[in-house]
Amino acid sequence: VTRAAGPLMGAAVVLAGALALAPAVELAPLGPLAGVAVALYLAGLALPWPGALPWALGLLAVEYLVGLEVRRAPVDAAAPAYAAAFFLCAELGWLGLEARRGRLPWGRRAVAIAGLALGGTVLAALLLLLAAVSVGGGPPMTALGVAATIAVAACLAWLGRPRE
Amino acid sequence: LSAWETTVSNRLPAYLALGGAGLLAGLVLGRPEPVVLAAPLLLAAAVGLALARPPDVEVRVRLDRERALEGEEVDVELTIVARQNVAWLDVELDLPRGLAELRRAGEGAISLRAGATREHRRHVVCRRWGGRLVGHLRLRARDPLGFFAYRMEVRQPLPLRVYPRPETLRRLLRPAETQAFAGNEVSRLKGDGIEFADIRPFVAGDRVRRINWRASARRGELHVNEMRPERNSDVVVFLDTFTELDSHGGTSLDMAVRAAAGLIEGYLRRRDRVGLVGFGGTLRWLRPAMGERQLYRMIDALIDTQVVLSYAWKGLDVIPRRTLPPKSLVVAFSPLLDERSLDALLDLRGRGYDLAVVEISPLEFVAPGQRETEQLAHRLWVMERAALRGRFLDLGVPVVTWRRGEPLDGVLAAAARLRRDARLVRA
Repeated sequence: VTRAAGPLMGAAVVLAGALALAPAVELAPLGPLAGVAVALYLAGLALPWPGALPWALGLLAVEYLVGLEVRRAPVDAAAPAYAAAFFLCAELGWLGLEARRGRLPWGRRAVAIAGLALGGTVLAALLLLLAAVSVGGGPPMTALGVAATIAVAACLAWLGRPRE
Repeated sequence: LSAWETTVSNRLPAYLALGGAGLLAGLVLGRPEPVVLAAPLLLAAAVGLALARPPDVEVRVRLDRERALEGEEVDVELTIVARQNVAWLDVELDLPRGLAELRRAGEGAISLRAGATREHRRHVVCRRWGGRLVGHLRLRARDPLGFFAYRMEVRQPLPLRVYPRPETLRRLLRPAETQAFAGNEVSRLKGDGIEFADIRPFVAGDRVRRINWRASARRGELHVNEMRPERNSDVVVFLDTFTELDSHGGTSLDMAVRAAAGLIEGYLRRRDRVGLVGFGGTLRWLRPAMGERQLYRMIDALIDTQVVLSYAWKGLDVIPRRTLPPKSLVVAFSPLLDERSLDALLDLRGRGYDLAVVEISPLEFVAPGQRETEQLAHRLWVMERAALRGRFLDLGVPVVTWRRGEPLDGVLAAAARLRRDARLVRA
């Protein structure tokens, strides 16, 4: 266990707590879901149980989206910030686990994470702006969305192809 | 050099799964937020996949020297040349038993730019004598975002001979008989030499310069001095390698090898001829010879000493006759545990060799048990060992017990006293 593990995991849990609290403040019934998500996240870091982190992150995302759906809220302008915090929470969790196993996060990786968080926020903001453009809905737009999803999956598959 | 073995962090599938779920949820719910949440995760996965490739590095290993003494430090120089950018690389030196790496601060993982060369100097301490192969490296690398981990083993075996640190000896056992060549040992026979032996009446043929004028004047007739010549001796170091007793502080073989190294060095310095017999699962020998070359040959032979399990019954007949010259002093180091070595030692005595046995006490390595029966068995075993020593003493073979931590000098002094007493009794 390296000395960085404690601060990293502490920051990760605080961030997860903040992410869980934000929708629960608006909608109290989301409290138990938020509690489960944070408890799972905490267990994933403390035990350590890396398999629990994706589920905890998934629950946090579900809590956020359920909160929006139940409140029938308009498009959330803070979504890019939430997305960046969500990404940082995931990264800090895994960094904490790695530090616990004796691996120190190296400088370039921290810079890369910061850059990705920033890039992710910009991308999320662009997506939100794109969503705000008023175009007619219906099957053609749904088909376009499906095509875009397939294109993203194909792009990732192409990037993950085996190379020499 | 083997190929890189790649493992994927469970972070990547998690990001892909969460990202994919976000895209689907966006489609199902008709809201942009799930896609917005998925965007940074998918971006990280895409960048990670784009940047990930096994590192292209070349590693060279060099030792600063090929020979070292026990306890000394040897530097292993690692030269790492990166042909592509390497985000994180850790080079671990996998050392054989008896060598240990001294980790110092700041010798962790490194990152390299394409074309860069980094030299690492690792300090290795030689904890135990023996022939070793150094140069087994474990390389661990990671991609810039830590999604992939790569492992590779590099083997560039370089020989390192670690010589035993010889026991410090001030006095050596004096052989009962000397050989014909000049050396440092005062012969028991009379002849040309510088050591005074006796005075006797002058007889025809005696040299005039030998006349002791003072004694001749006192006794009224010519007397001459008799001298003892300085001769060398043949010494054979006998190592019992049938058994090795191990404990935290070292093994019985370590003690035997260090003692043998000290004896060999000491006798060769006195211009004696020294030979070696490693009597164990594998039989090894070196014929007696003198000089510095023989010293290195013997030390090289010593560091290859190891215990090899064998059930074969061996006797002295398998040892070439010239390895055990007549009138040689045989100094045996043995824990006196294996019947085969006991028989060989008794056989040596039976053949008239001047034998001295240094018993490497096994009692230090075997603690009595907790139960009463175990303690009783231990006491019986101790008594059996005392009886065994008595058997050797009855045959005129001095057996001295060397316990761990004791200086060998004192043990050899005790052996010399026993030998002197035995000679007096015989006289």
